[in-house]
Amino acid sequence: MAAIEPPPVDSPASPSSVSMEDAASECSTHPSFQCCICLDLLYKPVVLACGHMSCFWCVHNSMHAERVSQCPICRKPFYHFPSICWLLHFLLLKIEPLAYKRREEEVLEEEKHLDCFSPQVLDHVISDGACLEDVKESSDGPKINDLPENKFNSTTAKQVSLDDVICPLCKNLLFRPVVLNCGHVYCESCLSGLDDGPLKCQVCRSPHPGGVPNVCLDLDHFLEEQFPRHHMTTKEGVGLERTQGQKGELSSGVPQAEKQILKSSYNSGDGQLWFQGESSDVQIGVGCDSCGMYPIIGNRYRCKDCKEKIGFDLCEACYTTSSKFPGRFNQQHRPDHTFELDNSMLEIYKELMSQNHFV
Amino acid sequence: MPRRENQDVQDNIPGIAPTPLPQSAAKQALPVAKSVDAQSVLKRLQSELMALMMSGDPGVSAFPEGDNIFCWKGTITGSKDTVYEGMVYKLALSFPNDYPFKPPKVKFDSSCFHPNVDVYGNICLDILQDKWSSAYDVRTILISIQSLLGEPNNDSPLNTQAAALWGNQEEYRKMVEKLYKPAQQS
Repeated sequence: MAAIEPPPVDSPASPSSVSMEDAASECSTHPSFQCCICLDLLYKPVVLACGHMSCFWCVHNSMHAERVSQCPICRKPFYHFPSICWLLHFLLLKIEPLAYKRREEEVLEEEKHLDCFSPQVLDHVISDGACLEDVKESSDGPKINDLPENKFNSTTAKQVSLDDVICPLCKNLLFRPVVLNCGHVYCESCLSGLDDGPLKCQVCRSPHPGGVPNVCLDLDHFLEEQFPRHHMTTKEGVGLERTQGQKGELSSGVPQAEKQILKSSYNSGDGQLWFQGESSDVQIGVGCDSCGMYPIIGNRYRCKDCKEKIGFDLCEACYTTSSKFPGRFNQQHRPDHTFELDNSMLEIYKELMSQNHFV
Repeated sequence: MPRRENQDVQDNIPGIAPTPLPQSAAKQALPVAKSVDAQSVLKRLQSELMALMMSGDPGVSAFPEGDNIFCWKGTITGSKDTVYEGMVYKLALSFPNDYPFKPPKVKFDSSCFHPNVDVYGNICLDILQDKWSSAYDVRTILISIQSLLGEPNNDSPLNTQAAALWGNQEEYRKMVEKLYKPAQQS
């Protein structure tokens, strides 16, 4: 994925750069799975629409609170904080068990310090297809330590099996994988083959803002390396379809995506204005816990019952579609919680604007 | 090549210090974004140092100053076939607590005659200000500054004299040499 703009952002440094002790005790990190921000092994990876990936916290910390954010590598603008890509998470857990465990401990330590947690692995995430239906609820709220993440105690790298990396649509090895805003992964060609109309995840049914994302090339290269034979077969298959004249623009994900983003009216008609920095409806510092829009443009609905410091908020679109997702920061939000319209941050934004704070 | 635009957002110019942002109940809010764990900043700087030492880039180097890993000294050598060829400049880098989400402050320690460097050593370079990306690191910063030497942005200079003289490369080189003070250290 060539950078869209010239600035020479480096490919992440060599795998041996983690630190002396780590390098000695762990096998070297797969170079494509190094986070470009913390320069360590990716932890709870998030894949942006441009196909670049970083850790959950690294992406969140690099987002702007008051305007559109940009990919740290290619500067492509993005409006939504994507959900964790659990497929990649489990893949990393398999291929780098020791290092991944170490990362888990380190991050958990920081999270305790902040009193704010990244989403934990829940069973509903693992059992594909059941996301919406069986969001687990326990009356006293799960404690971090009870979560099933801790059942992965193995310290030896396991062979990645084909089952770990199949496309939910074609049920074959992912080929030119793309990751949607909800974190689910598909072949690029499978998604392009879907009916026109707003893109929706076929697994969890959440709408994806914008067009088909760019291919996650790091994952693609890894799969090609791991499953050369399968990859080759799929490649030939897809190539064949293409020559048969089925949508002669398989690899046109980029322009298509861009086009869609330009006319993006998803969630709020202000997308364009926001992009140009002219919108006055910015809920500064507040993100939507369902679609991940950050900051929220337009009305903000705040949950009155969530007790977590970070709160639980929805944008207008997600509020009206009564989203059933758990919070982006592991809040124990439940469907019977009540919301209230809260535009206080919008007022603050307006005041800052009037002081030319963001010039 | 780094683009060099937007010269007005200069954090070294006094008077436009941003008003503090509201710290109230915002979720996913600034307090969270700000409180990047000191440990992770430390870790990232250590990784960078290792990578930098292994990479062996010609013409750029950097190392922490004393015991403080948040303050580094760097050097860049003027590229071949530019008026800065052979000159070695020292720089000071200081990293904020929320690095790499905020850029480090970078200044020339040695005096440098250049359209985008003022007499105090302040540098006007967009990637150190509004075009900063958390994927940049010390190495890319130094390489960017090295390339800025040979390709100044003369449209909105900090040093107008240098900008005016740029057209006359021969005279310019003389000025560079005249004002150059070799670094003390070996």
